Amino acid sequence: MQRLAGSILIIAATTGAGWMYGTELKNYLQKLRYIRYVAGLIKGEMEYTGAPLAEVFRETGRRVKKPFSTWLIRMAAEIDEREESAFARIWNRGIDRDLKELNLQSEHSILLKEMGTFLGQLDRETAGRSMQLYLNRMDLEIEKLREGLEAKRRIGNCLGVMGGIFLVVVLL
Amino acid sequence: MVIISMALHILCKEVDKMERQDRRSQILKILAKSIRRIIEEEVNDTDSLQEIRMRTGQPLRIMKANRDVLVPEGKVHIVTKEEMRETLDYISRYSLYAYENELRQGFLTVEGGHRVGVAGKVVMEKERVKNIQYISSVNIRVSHEVIGCADALLPYITKNKQVCHTLIISPPGCGKTTLIRDLIRQISDGNEYVKGCSVGVVDERSELGGCHMGIAQNQLGMRTDILDCCPKADGMIMLIRSMSPQVIAVDEIGTREDIHAVEYAMQCGCKLIASVHGLDMDEASKKPVLGELIRKRMFERYVVLGNGVHPGEIREIYDERGSVLCRDWQAVY
Repeated sequence: MQRLAGSILIIAATTGAGWMYGTELKNYLQKLRYIRYVAGLIKGEMEYTGAPLAEVFRETGRRVKKPFSTWLIRMAAEIDEREESAFARIWNRGIDRDLKELNLQSEHSILLKEMGTFLGQLDRETAGRSMQLYLNRMDLEIEKLREGLEAKRRIGNCLGVMGGIFLVVVLL
Repeated sequence: MVIISMALHILCKEVDKMERQDRRSQILKILAKSIRRIIEEEVNDTDSLQEIRMRTGQPLRIMKANRDVLVPEGKVHIVTKEEMRETLDYISRYSLYAYENELRQGFLTVEGGHRVGVAGKVVMEKERVKNIQYISSVNIRVSHEVIGCADALLPYITKNKQVCHTLIISPPGCGKTTLIRDLIRQISDGNEYVKGCSVGVVDERSELGGCHMGIAQNQLGMRTDILDCCPKADGMIMLIRSMSPQVIAVDEIGTREDIHAVEYAMQCGCKLIASVHGLDMDEASKKPVLGELIRKRMFERYVVLGNGVHPGEIREIYDERGSVLCRDWQAVY
């Protein structure tokens, strides 16, 4: 009886771990989608109002959820302080400090930081085009992730169950 | 009574001190850090500071009490490309794209109404200036409001507590913008000579209001609506249609469209305060379209400014018939 209970628990735990892995992947995709949404809002705000970055970030910051709102509003305050010689530094520091909890993969973190290198440095037309290019790259990343997501989730679930069974067999 | 007046005096002094500190920090924070340090050490009093001139590869200079001075004193600080770029980043708050329209005119206005003039390589598109690239010169002109400079003029341009259609004629640099600015403030707030009324200001070059992000940095009064960076002719019509002002103020009218819009505004029941470049009444009345308005006696007062001892001296005031109301009068400020 104890063996049966133990086996069920092991299988349940490993299945749970597999399911968690799948959910994490799904959540990560949601995070990337939200980053794309925030970037889209920044682009729209820049194009529509033509306001300086601080105002764009403040306005966008009011419309998005945490931790993006904190990140954008803090950046706006730092821009107004004018203490950094280049905007990219404010942008990169903000990502490292305020978006740490998103646990972005290094390639996505670099992709996000790249946006800071051209923001504010170009004329409105070129900035708009660069932002669009950036959004297209984000779309590509999201698509890549989405394509493999279902297969990875299924593998995660199967591995969870199978791993549990394997462990039970080994232990028995 | 004495105690109250003393308290008021101290309060005014404190407000003045705070305004000076604000002005100092507004100017310092738009400079590259290395230049910020120099100015911080060399300039204690921003009241006498008129301009900070930066040219890439050239010494840093300031204009102080009408004197061109090299800073730091006794040394030379050559402005580098990096300092220029950093200064431009701070001036534009890392957002040069947001100031494209202003840059096209060769200047932008920063917080506090200070004017930053720029020069560099001009980019043309379809025979129009599109932008300025490779900015190599920056001239920061410190804004100085002269509150009360129109005090003595106001009784001459008002009748029954109503302002008259007034044209200020002045050569460049004689203080017409400063004078109009104070007139707007007083007319808007109202005082013993004029009943406070709504004033519409069309500020094509952000000189009157010194607007930063749409908010006037200079005191233009509590009943003033301002159209910033708007062409004068369009702006006057927009204001009449949207804000129903009792008085419209515009600086430096010149084109045919401006003057037609002035005439239209006068016929809409608005009182008009405008300024024009010119030496005297004769010169103003010889201008093609403006001359017509003067001959039709559309303006009720003409104020001619000169630049004798200091800017803002009123040389003559005329009424609509061209009779002199005042001549070689004391300085307004």
